[in-house]
Amino acid sequence: MSLYLQPRQAGTTGPTPYELKLAGAIEEVFGTGVHHLEGLVKGLNDLGICSPTGEPWTPDTFTDEMRRMAA
Amino acid sequence: MVNRLNKTALTSDEIFATGMRNQWHAVCPSDFVARGDMKKVRRLGEDWLLFRQSDGSLRMLADRCPHRGAPLSQGQHLGDRVACKYHGVQVDVGGTVVSVPGMPGCNLEGKRLVTSLPVREVAGAVLAWFGTDPDAEPGPLDLPERLVDDGISRFLCYAEWKAPWRFTLENLLDPMHGAFLHRESHSMFGGETSAKFRIRETDRGFFFEKTDQRGVNFDWVEFCRTGVDWVDLEIPYPPTAGPGGSFGIVGMGTPIDAETTAVFFWRYRRVEGWERDVWRFLYRTKLEERHWAVLEQDRVMLEAMAADADQAENLYQHDLGVIRLRRLYRSQAAAQAEALAGA
Repeated sequence: MSLYLQPRQAGTTGPTPYELKLAGAIEEVFGTGVHHLEGLVKGLNDLGICSPTGEPWTPDTFTDEMRRMAA
Repeated sequence: MVNRLNKTALTSDEIFATGMRNQWHAVCPSDFVARGDMKKVRRLGEDWLLFRQSDGSLRMLADRCPHRGAPLSQGQHLGDRVACKYHGVQVDVGGTVVSVPGMPGCNLEGKRLVTSLPVREVAGAVLAWFGTDPDAEPGPLDLPERLVDDGISRFLCYAEWKAPWRFTLENLLDPMHGAFLHRESHSMFGGETSAKFRIRETDRGFFFEKTDQRGVNFDWVEFCRTGVDWVDLEIPYPPTAGPGGSFGIVGMGTPIDAETTAVFFWRYRRVEGWERDVWRFLYRTKLEERHWAVLEQDRVMLEAMAADADQAENLYQHDLGVIRLRRLYRSQAAAQAEALAGA
């Protein structure tokens, strides 16, 4: 009997390079102790991690993107 | 019902080895069985067939044709019934033989000869009632609030470990291993490596908790019996995980057989709005992999332990939760065996 040991169960595919880069930057900003939305968005922009349109993030564009990727 | 597998002879040791009866157990993730599909699973030492109809409803039957005992799981899904591959006998989702194609009019037709377990689907998992009397109504099921609260976001992680189910439960009733086995994990690096514990009774089980540290490592666990056995615990995240505080785990361990366990870990966090979305994004991209690495530390340790590891122990104060759990299950197994013997 083969036992079920699948490390990735929260999504059907692995994260894309874009998602990994964005997630890493979010962790970096959170790691500084900034845990509010405006601070997070500023932190991402300061790191040069832009939105997919190439524009800096705004709280609205960021929350929209997170909503899309949270599913 | 003579064709049903007779389980009245189960001994106390057999029940202890393969799991408590007359309660709900988690079976597998819901998405293991797609619409119009069926799947074989082994649970509590027996083979079962999960059968999902095209309307999405799920049924669970003993994987045993009432004719010659062939596995129904090798047969054909016919929408609202299954046809055994061996001789074509058709059994409906309630366990009744509806057709014996090789011998029309056979007296098996119309008889309910296959055990059918009541099932519920909760938070992405299938739960089933494993009763000693296949005709009795299932007992009540009070779901862990962490699995039904809308203000809580959760992911189910499911795995199968080559370890006895009691080892997997005992591991959860042993918070102190967090500070040692998981010392180098992303979430359990903090806090003291010595502690005193106490048991605190609740109306559904008990807490086993450190008396001198909270919210730093794996510092407490609540064991609950609410029709299904489960534990609840909480582990802090580092600041990199963002707002929302600690994450929690609702854990269940269901015996596949005496040596193997299906483990269910719902990682949850009380987060809403953008905080919820960011946590879910981070979970999918980063955290899930780290959580898995921690789980693997448990699996590797438990699978490496001798099957009779608990026969040569020297326990100390940290093991009060484990002792309590064992006594509870030992005495329940004895009571169930006695009831079965007298039935």
